[in-house]
Amino acid sequence: MNVIEVKGVKKDYPLGKTTVQALKGIDLVVETGAFLSIVGPSGSGKTTLLNIIGCIDTPTAGTVKIQDEEITALPEQTITDLRLHKIGFIFQNFNLIPVLNVRENVEFPLLLMKNQPRALIDSRVKELVRGVGLIDQIEQRPAELSGGQRQRVAIARALVTNPEIILADEPTANLDSETSESILQLMRQLNQSEKTTFIFSTHDPEVLKHANSIIQLRDGLLVGAGVV
Amino acid sequence: MLAVKIAWRNICKHRGKSLVIGVILFFGAVLMTVGNGIIAGMNRGLSENIVKLFTGDLVVISKQQEKDSVLLDVMGGKPLKVIKDYPQVKKYLGEQELIKEFLPVTAGLAFVLNGETESGNKMLLGVDIKRYLRFFPDSITIEEGRLLQPGERGILVSAQARRQDYKFRGYWLLPEGEELDQKKLPLPAKEQSAELLIKRELVLMGADAADSAVDIRVPIKGIIEYRALKKVWGLYNIIDIESYRETYSYVTGADSLVEISREGKDLLANEQLDQYFAGGNMFAEPGLIEEGFTLEDIQQETKKEITGYDLDAGAYNLVLLKLKDGGAAQVTLQKLNDFFRENRLEVRAVSWKDAIGTLGSMTALVKTALNVFIIFIFFVAIIVIMNTLSMTALERVSELAMMRAIGARKGFLRRMFILETAILSFLFGGLGIIIGIAVIYLLRLANITTTNEILQMVYGGEKLSPFYSWADFRFGVLQLGVVTLLAVLYPLRVVGKIIPLDAMSRE
Repeated sequence: MNVIEVKGVKKDYPLGKTTVQALKGIDLVVETGAFLSIVGPSGSGKTTLLNIIGCIDTPTAGTVKIQDEEITALPEQTITDLRLHKIGFIFQNFNLIPVLNVRENVEFPLLLMKNQPRALIDSRVKELVRGVGLIDQIEQRPAELSGGQRQRVAIARALVTNPEIILADEPTANLDSETSESILQLMRQLNQSEKTTFIFSTHDPEVLKHANSIIQLRDGLLVGAGVV
Repeated sequence: MLAVKIAWRNICKHRGKSLVIGVILFFGAVLMTVGNGIIAGMNRGLSENIVKLFTGDLVVISKQQEKDSVLLDVMGGKPLKVIKDYPQVKKYLGEQELIKEFLPVTAGLAFVLNGETESGNKMLLGVDIKRYLRFFPDSITIEEGRLLQPGERGILVSAQARRQDYKFRGYWLLPEGEELDQKKLPLPAKEQSAELLIKRELVLMGADAADSAVDIRVPIKGIIEYRALKKVWGLYNIIDIESYRETYSYVTGADSLVEISREGKDLLANEQLDQYFAGGNMFAEPGLIEEGFTLEDIQQETKKEITGYDLDAGAYNLVLLKLKDGGAAQVTLQKLNDFFRENRLEVRAVSWKDAIGTLGSMTALVKTALNVFIIFIFFVAIIVIMNTLSMTALERVSELAMMRAIGARKGFLRRMFILETAILSFLFGGLGIIIGIAVIYLLRLANITTTNEILQMVYGGEKLSPFYSWADFRFGVLQLGVVTLLAVLYPLRVVGKIIPLDAMSRE
């Protein structure tokens, strides 16, 4: 079953008097439970494509469907709710809330959902924090954690709402190779246990060995796709 | 709850910025509270010391009166016009629900013609003492002598006027029958008390532009002190209404006893009355003046029995009005003037502020200056807080954008920012209000007094008595709320422009 369908997506950015074409017409179908890697050099359009799939940017042309729902024309609040309920994000620079501890950062999206029973929130948060190996650091704030630990918190936060899709933009870019390896293993493990679709961008060849499907972008065009 | 938690922790995390905003809010709130307290104290003081002691809430004056400032700007000006149609005015005022009571009076400047010494002048307030004391029961205290009795002829000289007379004219006024009290004399007079020139009566002549005034001899019955604003009200000496009328040649109450023929009325109605007396001295013919007639005889002859007639039948030039509690002065003023206009009555009503002229303008000016100062403080506070919050928003773009990206609505971010500012306002502004209230009470306890007339306007009397009520507290909280809201408006706009995309690394 397809979780994402991208058709003819283009994205232009005005740059002074000229226009930069970040995406020049992308067609892509992602199946549920995929562990898809988007690869390509810097400026190839990886992040732009992720942003459009993640509903935090809109295409200049083309359509994007998530679970058969066309999302490009939805009003802002609906899109915000869609991001909250169906999409999880992992950022290159972790983007945790500095004044909240690990537990509070992970539960943050659930609290935004409202009407979630406190007991359910607590059990879900503990389960995920334990899953990412940070149960002993659950009361610590981001400043007290290493880069790898922060990214683990970000992964737990992305998964806490049981989203259909998790988008990760260069999730290992700021991590050393050993930590990157453990993060990718964790993501893969959660992809299999939670049946969540993972799409992540990278230009690190080492990361690719964890993907079960890969697409390659160059100059805003999809130049290759394959299954590992 | 979540937004409150994040807001509170952000306040603690960014202590420096929070402190900057907090300190501004604190001092703003202190100044605002003290300023409001002074304004409230000034309003209350002015109300008690002007409205309740001297002017009433509204004043009815002749329509012919050029200016509204009839009470304190008359020195050197034209005499006040007499109110025509007083019976109708009286009837209408008596029917008004909002009017508690009213007091018709006369007010103006009279020359003091005391023979051997240099002439001076006195401001006079002509009243029916019984009605005056009922209308202003706490306005004056007797320093020496006694009050006027109802219907009695005489004058109550203010303590200030007595001091002025000694300073500039060298005599000391003493009420009839009173012994010289050394303790009451100013220092130079004490040293020369044996040679001190004492006067127990005043010869007054109304300062009437029409030259129709006469001089009359008025006994001093008492020396009075006004309860507040002594320097201002001390200008006025209280005289019985009939004496006042006589010295200005107004129609007196006693005149109502005289029946005037139709021809006589026609004659008196003639505005060119003076022409009948032009061209000679009516006492020029020797045979007309009766020999052996002394001044005392004349006084005895002309002494009038002041009973058995209506004082209101004589002339007045002011009617002071007191409104019932909660009576809206502006509404009543409008209503009165509408009635006077519709019924073609030759009077108009003015506010007490307008009636006291320059003094009233000064109070308004002082009040405006205080308000402008408070607004300025708030303006500065708003700008600094706005700037600091905007910087905070810009520094936290990535964090806020991430919140948007993972599903927080704009409203959540706005709420977070409003809460941060509101918490700071509540803590620091609240503390500022409490300290401000403490300062107000300390100022009251400090018993700060002044004899300076301008400062008396700020104080609302001789003593600085700032005042803070629950209404002021609620108003203060409202002002703080408005400042908070205005200060956060622009930062909210900045926050509103943060989009989820700002959380992502860009290519």
